[in-house]
Amino acid sequence: MPKVVVRVFLLIASVAFLALPFINSPVLNDLTFRICLLIMVAISWNLMANAGLISLGHSAFWGVGCYATMFAANLFALPLIIGLLFALVAGALIGLIFTLLTARLRGFFFAICTLGLSEGLRVTSLMLPDLTGGAVGMFLNQPIPRLEVFVLAAVGAFLCIVFSAFLTQTRFHFACRGMRNHEGAAQMLGVDPRPYRLAVVGLSAAMTSYAGGLSAIYGAYIDPSIAFDLRVTVQSQIAPIIGGMYTVAGPIIGAFVIVVLADQTRVLFGSSEGISQLIFGIILVLAILFMPKGVVGLWERWTSRRVAGSNTPIQHPLVHPKVTTAERTP
Amino acid sequence: MNFIGQALIDAILLGGIYTLMVMGLALSFGVIRIINFMHGEAIMLGAYGAYWAFALYGVDPLLVLPLLMMLGAAAGYVLFKTTIAPVLNAPHENQILLTFGLGLILTNVALILWTGNERSSNPPYTFASLNFGDIVVPVSRLLGFSTAAVLIGAMFIWLKYGELGRASRAIAQDRDAATLMGINVPHMYAFSFGVSTALAVASGAICSFIFAVTPFMGFDMLVKGFAIVILGGVGSVIGAVAGSFLLAFAETAVAYYVPNGNGWSEAVAFGVLFLTLLIRPYGIAGRPAAG
Repeated sequence: MPKVVVRVFLLIASVAFLALPFINSPVLNDLTFRICLLIMVAISWNLMANAGLISLGHSAFWGVGCYATMFAANLFALPLIIGLLFALVAGALIGLIFTLLTARLRGFFFAICTLGLSEGLRVTSLMLPDLTGGAVGMFLNQPIPRLEVFVLAAVGAFLCIVFSAFLTQTRFHFACRGMRNHEGAAQMLGVDPRPYRLAVVGLSAAMTSYAGGLSAIYGAYIDPSIAFDLRVTVQSQIAPIIGGMYTVAGPIIGAFVIVVLADQTRVLFGSSEGISQLIFGIILVLAILFMPKGVVGLWERWTSRRVAGSNTPIQHPLVHPKVTTAERTP
Repeated sequence: MNFIGQALIDAILLGGIYTLMVMGLALSFGVIRIINFMHGEAIMLGAYGAYWAFALYGVDPLLVLPLLMMLGAAAGYVLFKTTIAPVLNAPHENQILLTFGLGLILTNVALILWTGNERSSNPPYTFASLNFGDIVVPVSRLLGFSTAAVLIGAMFIWLKYGELGRASRAIAQDRDAATLMGINVPHMYAFSFGVSTALAVASGAICSFIFAVTPFMGFDMLVKGFAIVILGGVGSVIGAVAGSFLLAFAETAVAYYVPNGNGWSEAVAFGVLFLTLLIRPYGIAGRPAAG
């Protein structure tokens, strides 16, 4: 497809996406709302993964966003939009502090610490009932502006997509990729990892916090197990993996797939929580084993094979294994 | 009334059980260099195995423990060969996500099969206790501690003198040199993973009459296990023992001396985790250059 066609298509798709809340169909709104939230969270996870920082604790950032929004609305009686700004700032702050604490860690150890962060925050919020309501939770004491929430979610997702697409053109993106492949080598080439790390985690945490804040407003109630729900962590990883890690389109495709899949399992198997989580687990394992580049990888392999096939003699894939673009980029 | 004696006894008994819990984690990291995010689920399945053996056939959890360990070792070996071995040379990300995904599957299979209800096996000694003056020693914890001590002792002897134990230590020291000495490294990896799973299953069987058994118990223990491993120094078996007892002492102290301590003691592990990373990121027994 020529590039112009793709761009026009993307433009139309995004305008349609942003206009969806105004159609005002409850089912469609709920579905797109959840897709938008997952797009933000998945892009945020992918951003960190791109720098080699695997997060197993995105629910920590999500929960911080939930509580920041609730505090702003309930304790200080601020408008909800300000509450969402609170969530952005609080998320970024937690991300920065966390990165400073774990500055020397990579790989496994960083992942373990993200897990520890989300569990630690959950226990802390459970043990401070005067502030958070403890296990009883807290209700939002303002009316929910439905339309605004949907529009804010769509705009947030749209901005995240544009932002992540813009990032791929910058030095920032390549520095992060360098850090992922070999931090020492990146340092030799003049990339100081620390500011990049701070920026990546801060941005990523802020995105997820914003999504968390929106979900808190939408649900109008939070308690520690909802705010620091492990499901957020799980979905935030699975969406980019099934779509294609380290790509712009991957998290978006993945978010659509995951939300629709979760909906369908709920229709098919009732509200049993275990089934959809089990399916997510199976998808995660199968994708890592057999499809580590996700849907985007499959697409690239398919298109490059077609292009290559048009001017070269037919080769059996087993006899002449072809190096595709998907495999070449590590 | 004086709590110190009681707190000390409680901490020591808890520390022994923690040690068994994390030993497999330390072993699999030391030998295979893989952090196993499904270790907690192996503990959970071991606990359910012991629970069902007791509930259906009335078999004492400690009697069924050897059988469960053998099953666990076999399952671990097969699981390693089929799923983890293919990603051993893949980037770290894939290994983390793969074991995390396997854990997710096991948790939810348990949730679907056995619901989220809390259970516990109740052998006759569950509620028995020995009294020494002011100090109360629950028999169940004492038995759990003794079993753990025996198993850990056996593992140390195996590591020190056993043929395969020596081979796994050799791999932990230098994988390439071990290969040159004729050690079948892929086989040893799968074998160590089996041993690590068996230890997890054993600690699960012990937990079944001490803690509540639920499909989610593994996750809590996993996070505690990581805190211990990092506190002790990653890959160090001695460090893991020291870390277990330190965490047990810290948790017990918080539970006894802080208001609302029982709830807060759940958060001690995370505090320990972050403090260790701030002050001494390579742990008690680790060396700065390691990792």
